[in-house]
Amino acid sequence: MIAKALLEELLSIAVSTGGDFAEVFAERERSSRIHFVSGKVESVRDLVIAGVGIRVFCGTKTYYASTSDTSREGLLACAASVAGAVGDASYRRAITLTPDAVARHTHVRRAPDSVPALEKTELLREACIAARQTDSRISQVDGSYMDVSRHFLVANTEGLCREDDKVRTRLAVSAIASDGVENQSGFYGPGGGVGIEFFERVSPREVGERAAKQALTNLGASYCPAGKMTVAIENGFGGVIFHEACGHSLEASSVGIGASQMAGKLGEMIANPKVTAIDDGTIAGGWGSYHMDDEGNPASRIVLIENGVLKNYMVDRLGSRRMSMPMTGSSRRENYRYEPTSRMTNTFIDNGPDRNEDIIASIEYGLYARAMGGGSVNPLTGEFNFSVKEGYLVRNGKICEAVRGASLIGTGADILKNIDMVGQNLATGQGVCGSSSGSVPTDVGQPLIRVNNITVGGRS
Amino acid sequence: MNFEKIREILFCEAKKAGLSEFDVYLRMEESHSAEALNREPSAFSSSKSGGVSLRVSVDGRLGAAATECFEEEELAALVSRALANARVTDADEEPIFYGDFTNTEYSKPTVEPMSIPTAAELRHTALALQEEMYGESELVTDGTTSETGASKVTVSIANAKGLSLSHTASMHYAYAKAIIRDGEEPSYGTANSTELDPALSGIAKKAVDEAKARLGAVNLQTGKYDVIFSAKQVRSLLSAYARIFSGKRALQGLSLLKGKEGEVVASPAVTLYDDPFYKDNPMQMPFDAEGVATYKKALIEGGVLKTLLYDLTYAKKAGVVSTGNAARGYADPVSISHFCLSLAAGELSFHDLLKRLGDGIYITEMKGLHSGADAVTGDFSIESAGFLVKNGQLAAPVHSFTVAGNFFDLLKAVDALSDRVETGLPGFSMIAAPDMLVRGLSCAGES
Repeated sequence: MIAKALLEELLSIAVSTGGDFAEVFAERERSSRIHFVSGKVESVRDLVIAGVGIRVFCGTKTYYASTSDTSREGLLACAASVAGAVGDASYRRAITLTPDAVARHTHVRRAPDSVPALEKTELLREACIAARQTDSRISQVDGSYMDVSRHFLVANTEGLCREDDKVRTRLAVSAIASDGVENQSGFYGPGGGVGIEFFERVSPREVGERAAKQALTNLGASYCPAGKMTVAIENGFGGVIFHEACGHSLEASSVGIGASQMAGKLGEMIANPKVTAIDDGTIAGGWGSYHMDDEGNPASRIVLIENGVLKNYMVDRLGSRRMSMPMTGSSRRENYRYEPTSRMTNTFIDNGPDRNEDIIASIEYGLYARAMGGGSVNPLTGEFNFSVKEGYLVRNGKICEAVRGASLIGTGADILKNIDMVGQNLATGQGVCGSSSGSVPTDVGQPLIRVNNITVGGRS
Repeated sequence: MNFEKIREILFCEAKKAGLSEFDVYLRMEESHSAEALNREPSAFSSSKSGGVSLRVSVDGRLGAAATECFEEEELAALVSRALANARVTDADEEPIFYGDFTNTEYSKPTVEPMSIPTAAELRHTALALQEEMYGESELVTDGTTSETGASKVTVSIANAKGLSLSHTASMHYAYAKAIIRDGEEPSYGTANSTELDPALSGIAKKAVDEAKARLGAVNLQTGKYDVIFSAKQVRSLLSAYARIFSGKRALQGLSLLKGKEGEVVASPAVTLYDDPFYKDNPMQMPFDAEGVATYKKALIEGGVLKTLLYDLTYAKKAGVVSTGNAARGYADPVSISHFCLSLAAGELSFHDLLKRLGDGIYITEMKGLHSGADAVTGDFSIESAGFLVKNGQLAAPVHSFTVAGNFFDLLKAVDALSDRVETGLPGFSMIAAPDMLVRGLSCAGES
């Protein structure tokens, strides 16, 4: 992408004013997004982004400059600007890069760039038409096809110089059901860290139908009762509960500055012994997977919690300096405009000892959250919230009528201890996580779990 | 490469491909910021980026492609990419490229572009914010952050009909987040301003006061409450539901305001404007993303819906004229957005609004609006925190309860607004609003 000699020159300039470490990140990414609404392909978004970010460390202080001007002059100006923010000293040392590569776990068979836009459009059309045909009460369908092909390079003053590719593909359908008085929505959006071969295992028709059925379920539902109750949260995107309630508090970006409820708790029993949680960036074809992170380190499988005991954090280079812990290959950024930081990849609660049918049967009165929406968390206090997209009341161990408008709130520390049953149908769901280094694709996952005594926000 | 050169290359390539209807949109951004943590400078970042988008019309279909790479070869490739994309788009109505600009008066922004401060100036103000926060209270502790920054955006548009417009806008901002710890109990408070100088903005004190006020919070008993949303939270609600005013979403059946122009949709206390030239908005734009002049308009006046927001395409479909609300970055298709939502102030002081509330809750924090608020149905269920209000007086802080309701019902249940308007951090879409008293909302905490 950039000649080795120019990379070495940029790094040398970047650390010339007192920095003790510098890194160049270069990227070129082509993305397309096809939008289908009201029965038509409405628009195609087709974008090339290309740019460079240069970062300098002085201890734990960081300096960052980025530019989309990738001419030699543009890059030299970017390096000079970040060096200028560090200080006035001037000492040029020679940097020698040693290019190598990390191990690969995913091999893309049908690269998005090699597939005509018409084929992608037809996949999307099939999903959206299927949603529409599910029921006459489906009044609107809004669907998107999306692919991203990213090529990037990382070089740093320790001599590291690596390039890699990352591809991802997704289909998402949002369906609206209307009975003339009110509207209810349903959503399903599976994706993978692979090319167009993704659709050999995911049927566009089923994506559309699933979104439509969720909207129809909510249309007939009454409002969820409010108060503290026992909640069973289904697998797949239900794992957003762990992502929000606990995962963010295990990122070095909050642990390393003491702004996390999980700081200083390694080795402590922080969850019910049935809970084992993992962040694994090495899953072949995973939505949140990669070969190397955005600092050039190989992705890894990190056991965060093992049988209830806190075992590890997700640590980037800056976090490593702050916490005196090794890097875990967890550094990510949306693109070159963002300074990278510690982020999750594919994060899930592992299968546990309980049979799924026993979990539902154990609930005398509570909520079964079949599908979760998004949420957010304050890493300082661990307070989280997330919405229930599809929920049902449970009475005497039986799943009963659908309810809507519910949300779950609590704190990470409490919910980890209150997860008292863990089932055996681990599955993941795809999300996009927003944080200081931008929006990145992350997988969340879990089997069916039971949470004792959680606050359900509702209206009746 | 400057806009004139980019335009020349793209116009030349488009004509070579036999195209007669097209436009070019360029957006260049520059931003700089300094952060401080625990009384030390912790980070500095600067960014210069930009991109260009070409939109073409082929057989009545619109195709677009964009790039950040301004090399001639890349620019030439935009034409073939846009053509290929046009071919898979379903023909709807003829794409419209704005041609009525010759008789248009573009308003003049009331603010001048500001200069970008140096790295040293930004670092100095970020550190000064830290010192002020630590000086406010002995409880202030590690994790306390501050950030100051500045950004500048230049937007240029040209089309084959001869339209050629360019405008630069800029802003400064400061942000303070105070972390305090009283024994084992942590708390935090945030505040922001468009003023860099901490002595003028007062945000250090605001952040620390907010953090202190949250200490010792109690649980809320589940039930129905009358509620005052703080001005900041009214802005959050308006931001989450701003899409309901899109004429496009209405036509697509995604807004319940569809066809309600002229009808009562809110309490008589509610008057809401979209005002691109709002006095506290530093990012004023005289034209929208299609080159149409922007102007101040009432969306709701005395509770009656006056208009929705339109771009050229959806105005034509709805049989109205564009309201100058086309929005886009260079990457995305044209969408519809407000420039500055401004909810008109009421007549009561905050003190009198509390008295009018009597007993209830004052909500000062809402989280997760991106997932807990549904713009299609209007339903919301939001994690909130704030204060109990007893006999018109602020009482104990309350934390972690949800407030649930429906935004369309809430608009009708507005009882009164305060006379203190707060303005949100700008962008091209900022929001200004006062405190708002609403009757009868479901709140879930302790059962």
